[in-house]
Amino acid sequence: MDDLEFRKRAYANPNDQSAEFLAASNASPERTQLLKQLQALDKRVTAAANSVVVPEGLAARLKSIDSNVVAIKANKTGFKRYIAIAASLVVAVGLALSPGLFSPRPSAADLQFHDDVLGHVYKEISRFDLTRDDVSFTQINNVLEREAGGHFRDNERIKQLHIKFANGCRIASNGRGAHIVLDGSKGAISVMVVHSSPVSTTFDVKDTRFVGKIIPFGKGNLIIVGEKDEPLEAYESMIAEAFEWSI
Amino acid sequence: MSETPVLDDSAKRKRYQLIVDALYQDVYRYAYWLCKNGALAEDLVQETFLRAWRSLDSLQNDKAAKAWLFTILRRENARLYERYRPDIVDIEDQSIADSFDNEPDQRMDRKLLHDAIESLDKDYREPLLLQVVGGFSGKEIAEILDLNNNTVMTRLFRARGKLKHVFFPDGKPDETLDEPQYE
Repeated sequence: MDDLEFRKRAYANPNDQSAEFLAASNASPERTQLLKQLQALDKRVTAAANSVVVPEGLAARLKSIDSNVVAIKANKTGFKRYIAIAASLVVAVGLALSPGLFSPRPSAADLQFHDDVLGHVYKEISRFDLTRDDVSFTQINNVLEREAGGHFRDNERIKQLHIKFANGCRIASNGRGAHIVLDGSKGAISVMVVHSSPVSTTFDVKDTRFVGKIIPFGKGNLIIVGEKDEPLEAYESMIAEAFEWSI
Repeated sequence: MSETPVLDDSAKRKRYQLIVDALYQDVYRYAYWLCKNGALAEDLVQETFLRAWRSLDSLQNDKAAKAWLFTILRRENARLYERYRPDIVDIEDQSIADSFDNEPDQRMDRKLLHDAIESLDKDYREPLLLQVVGGFSGKEIAEILDLNNNTVMTRLFRARGKLKHVFFPDGKPDETLDEPQYE
């Protein structure tokens, strides 16, 4: 194997274990040195590339995919499917038409979700740079569509908001959604649209710094959190009016 | 009866779970490098495994599962994010920062390596990551990327050449780097 061929193969795969390559690497001290250098570099590159932290519980979530698919598959066959859909529709229509009819107190899971929401806002607050340029309406809708399964209708009031960030977020283990941050009168206002439904009743978010609401909202939840004394009602009605779930 | 027998379904589920256990970490890491965002990477991995579940019967040999999953992953990434991913600031992405070792020198070294890998052209970065994260051979990489083997070897050669020049700046850049080697 000539030097050029050796170099090609050493760079392409410094861990080549073929007898021919190993013999060639011992043919001169220069070759041995080059290979050692490339192997040392490769070790560092491999360690760096594999240092990405894998989210906790990912394997369990991936395994639960199959249960969901099986459940969907099962529901697609047989008469129970139609009963289930009809029952869901009755409940959904009933809830939609009678928001005051059911006003249960927040469950322990709801309260946990409240804490998760606040924890998420505190975690992210240091990154909210309200001096940056606004995110475009198209970008916001791309994120909402991708992360929450919905979008804003073409709405001038929404377009006039100063939205500074838009990205996916995970508030709780099943709380996948979109998180947008806008510039309010008292500071950053977080608006999160979560596709799953971790809460079943509207309740307030409150601690010594933040106020807000977690609201059952169509196919998921709408969460609005801002600094104390921020008038959030206007944003709540504006967003609820403009947001549309995709079918 | 059109329903799948329970036994078959149970065997399929067991097979799927074994594949998840064996490969989810490599698949996630590669997904992360493809989209460089933790939340997007997880979504991508979920989509990948969902598709894998749906078409598991088409996988003839479990030894080929990794290459099969990486191929699905790349396709899903192209379908979901490559064309219209908005240019957004990552609010919560600390997937790499959190993984750094405690030693400042190691942390710096890894940061430099991450930056160097990210700075590689996609054509060079992809085969390199398939090799060092996926552990694939040149031939397998060629199949995943739908390239010929010589092209893959050239791209690996150049990827390492560029990294070597970053980390051994005192040495002269390899004079063969600018020459088309295999293509």
